Amino acid sequence: MDTFNVLFVDDEIDFLDTLMKRMKKRNVSVSGVNRGEDAIEFLKTHSIDVVVLDMRMPGMDGIETLREIKKLNPLLEVIMLTGHACLEAAREGMELGAFDYLMKPLNIDELLYKLQDAYRKKTIHEEKIRQLEKAISGQMTDNR
Amino acid sequence: MKKMRAILRRWFGNNSVEEPSENIDQLRVAFRERYHNFKLLLSANNRSLEVMAEMEQALQGGRPFGMSFIRSSSTRVSVSVFRMIQNLKSLSSGKYTDLDSRHTAIQQAIDAILKAEKPLKVGAPVLMLHDLNMEMIDAAGNKMANLGELKNRVGLVVPDGFVLSTTAYRRFIDHNQLQVEIDRLFQSAELGTVETRYSLSSRLQQLIIRSEIPEDIVDDIHRCWKMIESVDGKPVTMALRSSAIGEDTEGSSFAGQYRSELNVSFENALQAYKEVVASKYSLTAMTYRLNKGFRDRDIMMSVGFLKMVDAVSGGVMYSRNPVDDQDDSILINSVWGLPKSVVDGSISCDVFIVSRGPKLQVLERSISSKTIKYVCYPQEGVCRLEMLPEESLAPSITDSQILSLSEIALAIEAHYGLPQDIEWAIDSSGQIIILQCRPLEQIHPAMSEFMESPVFSDENRILFRGGITASPGIADGVIFPVSRGVDVLEFPDGAILIAEQALPRWASLLNRASAVITEQGGFAGHLANVAREFRIPALFGVPNALTLFSKGQRVTVDATHRVIREGDAGGIPGREVKKPNFMAGSPVYKMLQHVSHHIIPLHLLDPDSKEFQPANCTTFHDITRFVHEKSVIEMFNFGRDHHFPERSSKQLHYRVPMQWWVLNLDDGFTEEVDGKYIRLEQIQSIPMLAFWKGFVAIPWDGPPALDGRGFMSVMFQSTANTALVSGVKSAFAERNYFMISRNFCSLSSRLGYHFSTLESLISDRDSENYTSFQFKGGAADGNRRLKRVQFIGDILEEQGFRVEIRDDHLSSRIEQQDMETMKWYVGILGYLTLHTRQLDMIMTNPASVAYYRKKIQSDIGVLKDKAVGNK
Repeated sequence: MDTFNVLFVDDEIDFLDTLMKRMKKRNVSVSGVNRGEDAIEFLKTHSIDVVVLDMRMPGMDGIETLREIKKLNPLLEVIMLTGHACLEAAREGMELGAFDYLMKPLNIDELLYKLQDAYRKKTIHEEKIRQLEKAISGQMTDNR
Repeated sequence: MKKMRAILRRWFGNNSVEEPSENIDQLRVAFRERYHNFKLLLSANNRSLEVMAEMEQALQGGRPFGMSFIRSSSTRVSVSVFRMIQNLKSLSSGKYTDLDSRHTAIQQAIDAILKAEKPLKVGAPVLMLHDLNMEMIDAAGNKMANLGELKNRVGLVVPDGFVLSTTAYRRFIDHNQLQVEIDRLFQSAELGTVETRYSLSSRLQQLIIRSEIPEDIVDDIHRCWKMIESVDGKPVTMALRSSAIGEDTEGSSFAGQYRSELNVSFENALQAYKEVVASKYSLTAMTYRLNKGFRDRDIMMSVGFLKMVDAVSGGVMYSRNPVDDQDDSILINSVWGLPKSVVDGSISCDVFIVSRGPKLQVLERSISSKTIKYVCYPQEGVCRLEMLPEESLAPSITDSQILSLSEIALAIEAHYGLPQDIEWAIDSSGQIIILQCRPLEQIHPAMSEFMESPVFSDENRILFRGGITASPGIADGVIFPVSRGVDVLEFPDGAILIAEQALPRWASLLNRASAVITEQGGFAGHLANVAREFRIPALFGVPNALTLFSKGQRVTVDATHRVIREGDAGGIPGREVKKPNFMAGSPVYKMLQHVSHHIIPLHLLDPDSKEFQPANCTTFHDITRFVHEKSVIEMFNFGRDHHFPERSSKQLHYRVPMQWWVLNLDDGFTEEVDGKYIRLEQIQSIPMLAFWKGFVAIPWDGPPALDGRGFMSVMFQSTANTALVSGVKSAFAERNYFMISRNFCSLSSRLGYHFSTLESLISDRDSENYTSFQFKGGAADGNRRLKRVQFIGDILEEQGFRVEIRDDHLSSRIEQQDMETMKWYVGILGYLTLHTRQLDMIMTNPASVAYYRKKIQSDIGVLKDKAVGNK
């Protein structure tokens, strides 16, 4: 699988560091920020494919951040990650279009698989839109 | 614009049948997207089944679990099912929207159960002991409520004091917003391993000790303390004792799980309070709660503040014999100084046995050498004094004190109507002061399965005879000495714990130890209590045990008969008997039962029945089953309905055209294939090829009545003979259909009269690999049909599949194996698909059954040899 860019958002710095280190060992290009607000700023200036988002953070919480991310770029895939399993939050996040809702502690390889699956979904989606645009512009030319 | 709308419709709406060739790229993307959706659906399906299996295992006992397990399992299933529904909706262009409301309803039912917590009565944060009685357990905790009862209703002497109630505890936790953080730390730790529990315990304790007590509660503590000092007219020191709710109840002793701080000065009161509260998360207490199924939130720490008694002697007494419920003698354990050393099992103590008689009578006096005693320092803290030899051998209480204590024991037992475990002290004026009491659980000697004598051989040399039965029973294992905290981490399962002192800290090992041996300590200590509760044989008072036995040595401990022998005991009765499931009936266990009721039961069994409807999905398992079934059909129909040459179904050409059809979902072919046929060489689907290899590995003898034709013709004949198929209408029931990609294969087949489906994902992601095989029906009558299902189930189980049979419906699974292993399993299924057909005809003939069972076993052996040869 080709390399892709992942942004981890988690206020627990130790956890974030370890996670990023382990992901780098698996050849994933990773960045990390500690707050939801920072994530939004980061996404405005960087090209990211998948975001892994902690649910409980000071300031903007996970759900709010998810909502903002989807506003910013609906094609971005977001995986929620949480230390507090909560049925309602899970459902809310999934309804907002999150790719999955994972619980700590997590198996690093399974997270990697999730990231790959989410990335693949994104590329297929983008390809579909490209094809659609091509078809529409083709039609436009025909109609002229 | 009209054209454009048509494109959009085709794109987003139901895909139409005719595809102009210029849209081929779009179609490819559409197929790729569908397949990815399907794959995601399957992975969510597996996750959901996996978590349900874990929940089921948890209910069967064997491993303890906490609330976070229940919360995260429910959430995992809920999320997986939600994803499956979304994936199915995109596969079917928005059909099945009813499923959303089913999901919501089930989720809400579960949520309601998880959130049901008993409302906490809000009371005063501080309560005086003279206001307490048994009805106030919820506020004061068991220990302090009991003490209040003894003082105010039985009229016994107890220390002056007060209690920081559960309200104070809740306020303290809320003030620092600790519960959220506690829950998070719990979920993030894998409680199964001692290492993580160990570090979790220290993190949680530090968290509490660093926190701040609300100001008004600090004021209350100071006010009450000063009040008690004003009675005495001088500064006093206090003992701080945990008094948790749920502690000291029948069946759950929590013996020694929490901390007590003795002889605390006014200056250190707040720190000591926090330390006692923090001991809610001591390793021992956490392990105990986990094993017993208590919820973290159910345990609220009240803390008793009791004026310190400077004891001349003290100890623990039982109103009846704890290790023999036939014996109603009163047992008194006694030492010089504070009773601390009896409770923590650190030294040997005097034991007195008193019969109730018509008149109380001292039956037995066993005086130990009490080499040390604990006394209070004047300012703060407890001092350990070495005793002079003549002092150490003197009885620590007089006969008249023995009788007075016995009378008190009887009075308390009479008041509660239950045998009692009582801690007491005698001060310098000779006054007996009761420090705590709790129900005593007696063991019925015959109740333990370990009581009958095991078979010993000559090799079972007797290594030691004597000691004290702290908990009866017999067990064998290897010796593992423990002395430091880190030994807890290295303690192997099933070993025999051997220690110098019977310290309460070793209690966290009792669910892993097979027996306990200590040099010191009596049966009145906390460790003995917990050993009895967990039915672990324990022999205390074995002098020089640590030098007598060496690490790794195999011995048999017979705590009942007070003998330690060399080697394993042959045939210990009841040795294989599982330990009782201590969690059953506990709050956590009940919670899992309730929750799983909405998750695990499967009501939708038969996809051909009218009941197979979203509206009838009442559990997450139902939805999982429904969505999976429909997704396969949706995938199939889409491929079939599209006249898209490279993706339409092809007839398998294996030497001759066969009645097997192949639908390429994604990258199942080595090249784009136009035309009608697909040759086996053009297929690169790992699971399909593995299946085919098993299918053709060993020629079929033909149906039990051999017709003598060659293998190929038989196979051709049987696969072509679809006219025999019974009238069940299913979208793709008529023929044998493979849907494949490189790593995936789904096969629906009717061979002879039975219907089977196989689904397999094999890639280098081991954790996602799985193979499921379902089998149903046959032409024969019910009895023979069932027998064949059982026959096939037995074979699969032998090979390592997880098999479940309901009526004539068999389902089996194997998962998370590496690629080669998975291929081997799929090969077996290929072999069985060919070789078990029409076996229902002979199922009533035991000789034929035996013949075929043997043949199949030997064939599988041959396959295995071939597979190994290939490697």
